Amino acid sequence: MAETRYIKAVNQALKDAMRDDPTVFLIGEDVGAAGGSFKATRDLLDLYGPERVYDAPIAEAAITGIAVGAALTGMKPVAEIMFMDFITLSMDMLVNQAAKARSMFGGQGSVPMVLRTPHGGGLNAGPQHSQCLEAWLAHVPGLKVVVPSNPADAYSLLRAAIDDPDPVIVVENKALYAMKGEMPETPEKIEIGKARIARAGRDATVVAYGAAVGMAEAAAEVMAAEGVEVEVIDLRSVQPWDEACVLESLSRTHNLVVVHEAVEAFGVGAEIAARMADIGFDELDGPIVRVGAPFAPSPFGKTLEEAYRPNADRIVAALRRTLA
Amino acid sequence: MPKFGLTMTEGLLTEWHVAPGAAFRAGDMLFTVETEKVANEIEAEADGTLAEILVQAGETVPVGTPVARLASGVAAPPPMAAAPAEVASGKDTLDSPAARKLMAEHGLDRDAVAPTGRDGRVMKEDVLRLIATPLARRLAEAGGVDLSSVEGSGPRGRIKARDVEAAAQAVPARAPSPALPDVTEIVPDATRRATAARVSAAKRDIPHFYLTHEADMAALARLRAELNAEGHGQKISVTHMLIRALGLALEEMPQMNRIWAGDRILAFAHADIGMVAETPDGLRIPVVRDAGGTSLDAVAAQAGALAERARNGRLTPSDVGGGVISISNVGMFGASSLTPIINPPNAMILGVGAERSLFRPDADGAPALRRELTLTLACDHRVIDGADAARFLSAVVALLETPLRLLRPARKPA
Repeated sequence: MAETRYIKAVNQALKDAMRDDPTVFLIGEDVGAAGGSFKATRDLLDLYGPERVYDAPIAEAAITGIAVGAALTGMKPVAEIMFMDFITLSMDMLVNQAAKARSMFGGQGSVPMVLRTPHGGGLNAGPQHSQCLEAWLAHVPGLKVVVPSNPADAYSLLRAAIDDPDPVIVVENKALYAMKGEMPETPEKIEIGKARIARAGRDATVVAYGAAVGMAEAAAEVMAAEGVEVEVIDLRSVQPWDEACVLESLSRTHNLVVVHEAVEAFGVGAEIAARMADIGFDELDGPIVRVGAPFAPSPFGKTLEEAYRPNADRIVAALRRTLA
Repeated sequence: MPKFGLTMTEGLLTEWHVAPGAAFRAGDMLFTVETEKVANEIEAEADGTLAEILVQAGETVPVGTPVARLASGVAAPPPMAAAPAEVASGKDTLDSPAARKLMAEHGLDRDAVAPTGRDGRVMKEDVLRLIATPLARRLAEAGGVDLSSVEGSGPRGRIKARDVEAAAQAVPARAPSPALPDVTEIVPDATRRATAARVSAAKRDIPHFYLTHEADMAALARLRAELNAEGHGQKISVTHMLIRALGLALEEMPQMNRIWAGDRILAFAHADIGMVAETPDGLRIPVVRDAGGTSLDAVAAQAGALAERARNGRLTPSDVGGGVISISNVGMFGASSLTPIINPPNAMILGVGAERSLFRPDADGAPALRRELTLTLACDHRVIDGADAARFLSAVVALLETPLRLLRPARKPA
């Protein structure tokens, strides 16, 4: 075990994947000479040369389109979109091309591409550089969406995404890039679609992903001091998501809170809550409560953004509501 | 539901004498209510027409619950059952009448009820709806728990799993009855059910304690024989003398003339004494009024008349209810003593056994033949303490053993 940072784990995963598979290449703004805006691709240009690490112009549609085309012809591109907010420009390539190819070509082709992009606030980056838009992508059949919550998962989920024969969006979190965490000597193999029990508990289940997992764990600490044992599930993957794991946990705890940094309305939490209200109905002993950002653009100002982002206190309040 | 006594909280409506849609005249029997061990016939106070029965025969409902609706335009409110529905919620609301009635009856805040009717009208189902979590419902079904009897501890009274679990523990599941060929299942009638519910509640809710005292009956027997030898008026029985003794003792110890009424204590000015009587309709407890302030002859006359009416099933509501103590005498069956259950809202009951002859050591230690009666006093410890109860029972025994005092007025309380 060695300690590493989230951004270094991403860098390591890219480095190892490129070492293991010569068809893996990188494309994105500033990924080459600059080593990435957040240094995810540091040193990779020097290691693997300009044929495998492309600096692209500020043209997200082109970056994504090139990745889709390369993937269709047998390469394993890893595209970087500098901020998830700019994924709006990639949507046609992702939604109408990458997501549909396997089905439209009768299974004769697939799009083994990865699109890495950071979401989330906490850096006072304002409404156009803080958004969490994973629900848009999770809504599209044919796309997979993973959201690692810690350095080890950042490594393993990125490796799993690169190995996957279909388009996978790896949503990183800007606020987590500096996060330190243990990195096993032999990294865990993660199956996309399987969740992880981050903390076991018997009284209530909190489902979270990305940065919300840490908030949920902090909330669980607060509740534990009162004798309430909260189980925290790190979804790891929001599309597909581990329905069986959540249902199993709910069947033990009978209370459910779903947390994400994204806006609450029409979010991933709505899907999980609706599904559990259906298949888990008879297990519920309280309302399913969601915790997410309010229905408003992310503010710039520090205090306003702190009020905007979900946190442990709001998760504690949600837990108290469902347990009341 | 009319109220027949200070502490009456609910009544069993046993029978309707008027069918829905039928007209009635003032003085007609409307319905029968069973409570306080008496069947009360409720008469119409004015002419009218019965529009709708709201409480069916066999239902037990709280005092004040409307039991029926009368046809409009005919002014004939049922006795004491003024419909609170109209008072509590204004007539201009569009809520369904049944919903308004239910909300008024149960003191529900309209704002706390989620309306489902058109234009935000509260419907009957909205009021009746039982709020329980899905898990609570599932557990209740699996455990055979009736959710309507479970109190919810969640927000706005929502029933949660923990409430069902607590209820399930409180009421252990009924053991499956083995199929015994020589056992017959009998469905208890309304009287039996009412008695069962009443005595169960009494024994469960009243912390009983008991005192036993023997009374030497020699002097009392002589006095009774002399009084009855005169041969006019009501014959005096031992029970009459016991009632008189209790009346005097209560007059002289007013701190015993009290009952526990949940959140307060009720103190009575007069000593009313109930006497448990067997009647064709089951046990009844007619009450002799002011047994301390009247004479032994008056007590005997009252008791005689009450016993007569009880035997014939003709007790009236004013014959029962009130008082702090009843007498239950099983002496005529030869039982030497009786440890009785207090009849709520009484605070005491005196169990009386058979008079017996036995030898007791006299002053010199030689056996002396005596006639004795065993008295067992059951007391409600919420309102009576042991020492007071012992003084009271001793005072009663002293009155019986120096029975001329039964002919005198009560002494002023110390």
